[in-house]
Amino acid sequence: MTLALLRRGLRISLGVAGLLVASTLSAAAQDPDPLGKLEQNNRVTIELLLDSAKVAGLPSQPLLSKALEGIAKKAPGRNIVDAVRKTLGYLRTARTVLGTVDDQELVAAAAVIEAGAKPNHLEQFRPRKKGRTDIEAFIVWADFLQRGVPSEEASTAIARLWQDGADDETFRSLWSNVQADISQGLNPGTALQNRIREAPGRASPVTVKPPEGQQENQSSR
Amino acid sequence: MNEPKVAITVLCAALLIPAQRELAAQVASKIEAGQYTVSDGALPLSAIRLAPTVQFEFPHATLKARGSAFVSEQTLQLADGIVSGTFTSPTVYGVRAEMIGNASRAVDDRSLGTDQVDVQTRIHFRFHEHGGLWVGGGVARPWRVAVFSAADVTDAGGWAKLGGPTAKFGVATLTATFTNFAFTKIASVHDTGSAQLSCAAGGAAVSNRTPIINAMFSESGATGACERQSRFGDLEGSLHWEVGSLELTAQMGRRFGDSYDVTDDSRQWTAATATVWLTDRIAIVGGGGRQPALPLRGLPARSFGMAGLQLAYWPMSKSAVPVSLPRAPLVKSFEMRPSAPGMHKIVIRVSGVETVDVMGDFSDWSPLMLARRGRDLWELSVPLSPGMHQINIRVDGGPWVAPPGMPTARDSFGGEVGLIGVPDKASH
Repeated sequence: MTLALLRRGLRISLGVAGLLVASTLSAAAQDPDPLGKLEQNNRVTIELLLDSAKVAGLPSQPLLSKALEGIAKKAPGRNIVDAVRKTLGYLRTARTVLGTVDDQELVAAAAVIEAGAKPNHLEQFRPRKKGRTDIEAFIVWADFLQRGVPSEEASTAIARLWQDGADDETFRSLWSNVQADISQGLNPGTALQNRIREAPGRASPVTVKPPEGQQENQSSR
Repeated sequence: MNEPKVAITVLCAALLIPAQRELAAQVASKIEAGQYTVSDGALPLSAIRLAPTVQFEFPHATLKARGSAFVSEQTLQLADGIVSGTFTSPTVYGVRAEMIGNASRAVDDRSLGTDQVDVQTRIHFRFHEHGGLWVGGGVARPWRVAVFSAADVTDAGGWAKLGGPTAKFGVATLTATFTNFAFTKIASVHDTGSAQLSCAAGGAAVSNRTPIINAMFSESGATGACERQSRFGDLEGSLHWEVGSLELTAQMGRRFGDSYDVTDDSRQWTAATATVWLTDRIAIVGGGGRQPALPLRGLPARSFGMAGLQLAYWPMSKSAVPVSLPRAPLVKSFEMRPSAPGMHKIVIRVSGVETVDVMGDFSDWSPLMLARRGRDLWELSVPLSPGMHQINIRVDGGPWVAPPGMPTARDSFGGEVGLIGVPDKASH
């Protein structure tokens, strides 16, 4: 009887082990087609968007990356297509406003527009010294918008710092101080106004008045 | 007695070999050394205890080798070694399957020693992020344990986790387990009254005994032996508590079964261990209590007291609960800094978790597992070209979140990503 139990237990164990190994192997298997997990119609649409980017002289890698991000985060196919289409639109807008810049700056500018910046605010970044990059400024700008700093205030503050010749470290320091103030409960717009006065570029305080209801005590998002 | 000495020596030597950081598997190791006093009913025996462990962690499997040796007056009193492998399936709707295989050997200077192979499967059910249940079963096949031939093991349990890494009182994990051992035992009519009854009631005469069992019965003059189906059950509750640099682990248990299978010294037990981490890799360990007998492995019940030092090269997962927790506790810190040309090192500090992953545009949004480099330290080097990059992290297979302490943006899919700018050296 014990032998029978033993054999039965072993059979069950081996069966479960087989299932485990099979599921593990299938999970680990690499799909050679990065978009292979999408439905056919969504996949075709995204491939068309990638081709459109290439034809327009825009980088297609950010679009592919957006699609892969959506797949990795298990977003519905339609949402992934929408996200890729919007990203293409942001890249087009950024190119129109900034002119000829390298792909990395274009991607960062597109991220700022996606975060809620108005395209005309980007125009102030068009003239630049050779070799100067605006990526850090765009990253801080996008973050401020996401944290609830009013678009006009964030745009004006970042643009003025940029025009005053602020370097990457200045932008990082500004971000660090503002996010610390916001996490303490300060209104995001007020936090930026307070900290921009301390910035080495000494940009003038922004005069845009925050909308009603966004004064002190507004909790950060 | 040389064989376990060699095994322990090899295991200790393996700990000293720095593993290649580019290995597909994470490698973790630790060694614990200290004074150990044990009593199994006779006079207390003091010994130096050496306990090395090496562990290889793959995404869905873990291989582990650990051993312990007790040396007293240049003599090896007891050596115990175990090699185990665990396969785990991906978690689907909160359910995860696990298969565990163990091969172990214990050598005692007063007995033949034992070998055992066991295979066990478990199904885990997770409820939210702070608790779960599991059920499991398997078989154990001991060798050289004279009175056992095989055992079926079934277990079930539950766990609950209280607090969090930032809570004032830390993290406490409560676990309750019931394990049932049903086994075939060789009983002699000369053993006890209950054994006589068992044999008299129709226990099958031992006809297919192993040579070792035959030898044992011939040596002891025990005649009239019979095979006897029997069982006992262990109910155990444990507490694992982490607060700051202190870890406390305590167990309390009770064994159920008739007096023939369960000796009085194994009816109930209590033990506790405290670990104080001095640095990420060095800890003081102390504890004591009582351990029940492990009949399948031929180990007797014993009381013990110990004090020692733990050196963890890359510390082990603590695994307070038997399944990883898909939750997102607050990460203490996140840092990305240039390492080799074109490479950035991601350094994350988060404690009380089993796995940490990152993904981003730099990995084509494929998860990359970080390697544990300290008690709460996780690292990974990734290639980053100049420009803006997006990154997400997750712990214990939980949701993808933006790392703390860096700019963030919405990710088009209802979540957030961290933003990092890598300057082009040519532009500075």
